[in-house]
Formats: sequence, C-alpha cells, structure tokens
Amino acid sequence: MSTSVDKDAAKFILGFDLGTTNSVLAYAPLDAEIPQVELLALPQLVSSGTIESRSMLPSFTYLANPNEAGGGALDLPWAKRRDFAVGEYARRQGAEVPDRTVGAAKSWLAHSRVDRHQPILPWGAAESVAKISPVTASQRYLEHIVAAWQEVHPEAPVAEQLVVLTVPASFDASARELTREAALAAGLPRDLVLLEEPQAAVYAWLADRGDRWRRALKLGDTLLVCDVGGGTTDLSLVTVAEEGGELALRRMAVGNHLLVGGDNMDLALAHFVAGRFAEKGTKLDPWQSVALWHSCRNAKESLLAAEGAAGENYPISVLGRGSRLIGGTVTTQVDRQSVGQLLVDGFFPHCKVGDRPARRTASGFRELGLPYEADTAITRHLAAFLQAHGPAPGQPVRPTHVLLNGGVFKADVLRHRLLEVLGEWFTDNQPPQMLEGRHDLDHAVARGAAYYGWAKQRGGLRIRGGTARAYYVGIETAGLAVPGAPRPLKALCVVPNGMEEGTDTDVPSDEIGLIVGEPAQFRFFSSSTRKTDRPGELLSAWSPDELEETDSLETALPAVEGVDEDYVAVRFRSRITELGVLELWCVGTKNNGRWKLEFSVREDAEGK
Amino acid sequence: MDQVWLVLATIVAVLFLELVVWQAVRILRKGKMKESDGGAKPQAKLPDQPESKPAIAKQPPKPARSEAITLLATLQREARFVDFIKEPLDSYSDAQIGAAVRDVHRDCAKVLDRLFAIRSMVDQEEGSPAKVPAGFDAGRYRLTGNVAGDPPFHGRLVHHGWEAAEVQLPAWSGTQLAARVVAPVEVELA
Repeated sequence: MSTSVDKDAAKFILGFDLGTTNSVLAYAPLDAEIPQVELLALPQLVSSGTIESRSMLPSFTYLANPNEAGGGALDLPWAKRRDFAVGEYARRQGAEVPDRTVGAAKSWLAHSRVDRHQPILPWGAAESVAKISPVTASQRYLEHIVAAWQEVHPEAPVAEQLVVLTVPASFDASARELTREAALAAGLPRDLVLLEEPQAAVYAWLADRGDRWRRALKLGDTLLVCDVGGGTTDLSLVTVAEEGGELALRRMAVGNHLLVGGDNMDLALAHFVAGRFAEKGTKLDPWQSVALWHSCRNAKESLLAAEGAAGENYPISVLGRGSRLIGGTVTTQVDRQSVGQLLVDGFFPHCKVGDRPARRTASGFRELGLPYEADTAITRHLAAFLQAHGPAPGQPVRPTHVLLNGGVFKADVLRHRLLEVLGEWFTDNQPPQMLEGRHDLDHAVARGAAYYGWAKQRGGLRIRGGTARAYYVGIETAGLAVPGAPRPLKALCVVPNGMEEGTDTDVPSDEIGLIVGEPAQFRFFSSSTRKTDRPGELLSAWSPDELEETDSLETALPAVEGVDEDYVAVRFRSRITELGVLELWCVGTKNNGRWKLEFSVREDAEGK
Repeated sequence: MDQVWLVLATIVAVLFLELVVWQAVRILRKGKMKESDGGAKPQAKLPDQPESKPAIAKQPPKPARSEAITLLATLQREARFVDFIKEPLDSYSDAQIGAAVRDVHRDCAKVLDRLFAIRSMVDQEEGSPAKVPAGFDAGRYRLTGNVAGDPPFHGRLVHHGWEAAEVQLPAWSGTQLAARVVAPVEVELA
C-alpha cells in the first residue's frame, strides 16, 4: 500500500502534527519560490450527522454503540457506515461517555510497559466495548486527515507527496517505530520523515523570520524550546554553532516524556472550584463535575488573561442540565487573584535551579495506566532538565533565548512567570530572553514540519543533531550462576548520542553467541543524558535516572547454510537511516550472515 | 366526409393526449427527482435513461435540512441558546439570570465568530462624522433623519453595522426524521 515517493512527481510537502490532544495538517506547494505554508481545513463530525470544518482535529476516538451508529449518524463524506467517530464529536463524547472514548493514544505509544498493538483503549473500559490499540487509534487520526486532504486534492495523492510527521523529542526509538507503523497503515508514504516537535516549532519560527533569524541569534547562543501541550511537556535545547563559516543550528539535548500539561491545570482549577461549591453545601453530580471542568477551561483563559486585583471576584457557573437552564444553574464566586496564583504557583512555582521534581511514591505493585507526573511543577522539571545537560554536575545549561509552544502559553502570566524564574536562576548575566517574532502556539508544529520539508527539498537552514539518545543492548554477563539471583546485567552502547542520519557504525565487543533456529532476544535501553558513551562501551552500573528500559529487541536466526554449528558468533552494527530510523544488525564474525533486530511485539509485554 | 374528419380528429386527439401524458410523466418524474435529491444534482436526462434508476434507489439521497435549523442546533449544542430563550424568566432574580447568561453569551459569541466571523462594516467610532459614497448599495447603508438631495451624504455614524466575513455552516447528513431536531432527547443510562 505504501510506496516510495518519486520526488519529482510530488507537488506538495505535507506536515502532519499528530498531537496528544489535537492533530493538524499544514502543507506547502513545492514549486513555490518562497515557502507558502497553509493549514488544511479538516471536516469532522461535531455532533451526530453534523460535519464542520476546523483547523484542528481533536485526537479522540468515540467507539459508538451499534445502535447509535445506525442510520449513518457517524458517516463522513468519504466514509459510510462508520461505527466510530474521531475529532470534535469524539472529544465532546469523552466528557459524557468516557467508557467509549479513546484519548491520549499518543502518550500510550510511549508507554513501553503495555503492548501497544493490543486493543487496550479506552483503558479500563467494560468488556462490551470493542477496544482498539494505541497504534490503531493513531492510525485513525492520520487516516482522517489523509481523507480530508484527498477530498480537496484528488490530483495529489498523499502517498505520492513528501511527508513530514512530527513526534515528541522525548519519543524513544520504539515509540517512533510505532508512530511510523501507524502512519504507513494510514497510507503515508514509506519514506516519510519523522521530525521532533520542538525542532518543528523552531522551523516555524525560522519560516516566519526568514533571513532575519541571524539578527536574533548569534554564535554560542542556546535556545530553550518549551512545548507545553494539553497533556504533555516536551523540552529541547538548540545551540547556535558555526559550520563552514555559516551559522548553523544544532539540537543539543531533549528532555524526558513528561505527562503534565494544560489539562492538568483545568482539572486543578475544577477541584478548587468544586471545593468552593462544597463549602456552600452544593454537591455536584458527575455530569455537573464534567460541566465544571468545561467551565474551568474557559474560566482559565479569562482568569489568566489579565492580572486580577486582590479581592476581585470572578463568577464560575455550572449550567442546569435539562431544558431548565437558569433554574438549574449553580454558581460560585472565586477570588480572581488567588485562583490565578493557584495555577501559576501550582504549575510554574518559583524554585531553585538545583531543585528536583518530587518523585512518585513507590508502591508495591506496578501501576499500568499512564504514568502521569507526580509533580506538576513544570519549572522544577525544567530545572532538572537543565541540570542533566549541563557541562558538569551542579552546572546547569544556561539558555540565552526561549521559544514557547503550546496553547498554555497564550496566558501572559505564564509566559512572564517562566521567564521570571529563568531570570532568577541565572542572575550573573543577562537573563534568558523570549525569542522575538511570532509564536503561533497552536499550529507551529505542523507549519514548521511543512517548512522543514520545503527547506529540505529546496535548500534552507536545517537543524542538525542526530539521535537525541544513546542506545544500549543488555548483555547478561557470563559467570557462576547464583540460585535465585539474576545474572548481573551490563549495558553495551550500540548507538552514541548524536549519531547522524545516514551513518552506520560497528560496535566493538566480545563475540556474542546466538543459538541457531531460536529467536534471540535482547533487553534494550536508552539514555538522553549519557552523552560521551561510545559504541562498544560496556556499562556495569548506572543510576535508574540514566537508563530507561524500552521494548526489547529480537531476531529469528535461521540455520546458516553450509555452517554446521549450533550457535553463531556475532557482533552488532548500528545504522541511522536518512529518515532517522534506527536499525540494529547482528553481523556474523566468521561468516557473512546479517540479521536485523526488530522491536518485540510480544503479547506478554505487560509482564515485563 | 364528416366521418373522415372525425377519424382524423380522433387520431390527432390521441396523439395529443399521448404527448400530454408523456410530458406529464416527464414533469412528474423530474419533480420527484428534485424532491428526493434535494436539488443537489439536477439530472435532466433521467427520463431517457431509465437504467440509471436502480443506482439511485441503491443510494438514498440525503434529506434536506434548513440551514437555519443547523444554526439553531449549533447554538443550542455549544451555547444552550434555545434552552435559555425558551425558559420563562418571571420566577428568577437578575442575579440568577446573570449567572447563567455569562456562559450562554460567551459560547454564543464563539459560535458566531467561528461560523460567520462577524465584524463591523466601518472602522470608525460611532458618533463620529461619516460619509455615504455616491452609488452606495441601499443594502449596506440605512439612512435616517433628513434624507434629501443626492449622495455623497455626510452625517453621523450611529451604528457601525455587522457583516459576516464568511459563512461556514456545518453540513448535515442525518435522517428525514431528525431534520427538524434542534436538540435531541437526552437519556442517561445507568
């Protein structure tokens, strides 16, 4: 189904932003002399039988009861007899029929403790619901966008265009592979390029500034990209370097996948207001609680829009449910300033650059649901990020400029607070500055993706960086077995941090014996903080912060013709393709056999 | 001779009647087509191509729905507009009404902005001097006071006007039974 793109036949570059809460498509004609990036209007169900075009497709799937789906209520111009809906209608249903609504599928893609190919969403839904896998959900959002494109541009099939798809910088190789898989299943071309979202935001800024960017940034500057979306926070550092006498941008570090974002703020506000209702003796039923969340989402914008005077009250209402709207409305007053403080101090508190986010309290059993952050303080996560990537322990990276992305930063107070905190951390010199120019907080990632594709094709500034992580294969050390104790595990570095696209490397190591005719399986780890490990380096100890385990790798080893041995001695060879896909090979040391390692799709991934 | 005329007249009459009937069938068929197709795709050739009939029967055309109903349904869905207007205000205090109206007002405004991008037609302060150009469109200007003479007219701006910069009404694909539904019956299942 997916084919390679004939680059000359492509008419457009398409930039897909597959977001945790919203997805967007930006596109640019390839034959234009200057990049002209537009957003595609996405027709979607907003209610049963009602279709409206929006610039964003909420990344939600509603799995309808068969009786609801009858009569074509969920049909789209390009799809009849649908039994599910994606987009605005699904998002709205999520509030009232949570058991049939899939949300945050993207965060599940990055959650390696569950099998992302199994129908597990909606998480915890009843048996009667025909669940879907995180990969399928992601595929459906992309399919919807592809179909919307095809309706408007039947002359330019998506599979024949140049396609850039964005992923969080924090996505490891396995989460990227799953995203690719969903994209190919949705009909995107095989040579689609994955681009990190914070980088895409930088490209959007570059597209807007043109050549003037050289006036805003100079050699040695460090740009902090802070992307706070609905459900996730993604951090990256980009430095300005010199290459061949020209200024060049280099992505230096990426943060971990943080599950905290704007939705947490709405919920925090809703909890606070529910408390005020309770004080007045008003008990909210579940429907009212959902409606309150919705009211708080709107109130948040107003509350944060302007600095409220102390003591000024702001009314928050929950409208009556039935047709008696006014009669059923309950309302309460909140103190504008204290609520503003609740959000600003709750999510962007003043802290020291040496502070660490509070850890999740360890419990006896392992929770399988999404690992939401225990500490909602984005500033503390930022402090930890800057510390982790500093030149030496206790010496944080010092950004000179900040680029913001995500709807959360529409609120002036939050932007100001973030800069204020950064200024407190680095008092000795000029505090970090907001990057001048337009910050399109909602659509920058898709726009930037389209611009990147255009620049890649037509020539233009590109951010270099290679892999954001180093990767390690787990090797069980030989030695005397101790009953009841697992053999000590060592980690062999197979891909160094910053390995460039289009390169490969041998991994020097002792020979590793693989048994012929049996699948060989390796534990696989990644690190965003260990930057100096070279391929072949063997770690025997590491702190849990440094190395994160991800899906294991496996390969089936067929018997080698002409070789009559039970096992084959191999070493590893790693490769990063031009498209940024990581490939790991086992290469026979005594013959020419080569076996590619693939991410396991075991069904018992939960039991890992 | 009379008989010959009678025969001829009968033949003519039959031919005429046939023509009339054929025309009538044609018109009826056309009318039926129009009614069921919502006027979306006029197919003038239908009577000559009876073989296209089964294809139409296979895919029942979508029932039409007034765009005004679609707008009302949108305002109700997103802003509870109809609930608000239909509720008698007699038994409520101004404070109660005020509490509810804030949300309804905010959400109605969002709908109008999104679907119509409503903006003022002239970019100047109300109360300031205003000019009505020669050859103005009577639909774009409403003149009050002492209207005499020929344009251009000079006066005072009373209302800056409102204009929809775009019209982006949702498309509807529901059933005939639901064509006039502004808000569906809501039932919560335990």
